[in-house]
Amino acid sequence: MMKTNLAKFVRHVHDTQDTEISCSVCLDLVSQYVDLEISTGDATIQLPLVKQHLDQCLVCSEEYQVLHQLAVLEAEQRLPTDEELMNQLKK
Amino acid sequence: MDKPRSNQEWFEALSNQDVQQGEALEEIRRLLLRAALYTLVTHLSDLQEMSEEERLALAEECAQEALMAVLARLGDFRGDSKFTTWAYKFGVNIALSRARRWRWKQVSLDDLADDDGTLNWFQRDERFQTADSEQPVRQKEVVEVIREVLRTQLTPRQRQTLKLIAFDDVPMDVVVQRLDSNRNAVYKLLHDARLKIKQQLVRRGYDLAEVMDLFQ
Ligand SMILES: [Zn+2]
Repeated sequence: MMKTNLAKFVRHVHDTQDTEISCSVCLDLVSQYVDLEISTGDATIQLPLVKQHLDQCLVCSEEYQVLHQLAVLEAEQRLPTDEELMNQLKK
Repeated sequence: MDKPRSNQEWFEALSNQDVQQGEALEEIRRLLLRAALYTLVTHLSDLQEMSEEERLALAEECAQEALMAVLARLGDFRGDSKFTTWAYKFGVNIALSRARRWRWKQVSLDDLADDDGTLNWFQRDERFQTADSEQPVRQKEVVEVIREVLRTQLTPRQRQTLKLIAFDDVPMDVVVQRLDSNRNAVYKLLHDARLKIKQQLVRRGYDLAEVMDLFQ
């Protein structure tokens, strides 16, 4: 069965903390979070509140995912060129 | 290829008004354009019906806006990430927000309005199909608690925001725009709502892990 929004919402209620960081604080910390993931892998241990926010907040989570991809591609020197990206954007 | 700048080199080059700043500005602008292009490419489904020219123009606008954000926030850079990762996040944030708003710009949220606290929309999501005969009964109990909190403890604005984001899949940025609000305020509305429901369930003796399992 596909997860209904109600099921997702109940999980979010279960995971709710008394204090959660805001989207601004998440944006402030997400670059550190991404680089910790890439370098040491212990981002969730060092920045658990970022992980908690990303699990609750879809817009921040989508941005995190793209940033993570970008940072990995850059670290591996595999970032596509502007030309390649512009061609893909035209599709 | 030139050796990439260190964090310190980026920070100094962008902070000092000299020849170096011009070069660094041009370089970071190029990197932000690439981040914006990359972001839009990963979310092409949001950009349907946008022409090629408009897409390229949007990427340029996002890069420019991100450059402004980077310069305005330069003092916040603490060096706890790579400078480029720190800068890219502004490009990603701006490009995705713009893409989401584009996708939803034709949709009236009035059609998704909360029906005056009758909570019919909430009932609609109640699709419990399961072989376990005990489960639907217990699910219904939990749903009743949630509905009661929605009805009696949330403000209309809180209820409306929760409905749009958690149940109608409207991106938070779109709700923020229509309410003329900001992400932090809307996130707080949602957090307060979740917390009230959680507290009510706990107060009534529910084990939250079991509650979650009921619905998964
Ligand atoms: Zn957020």
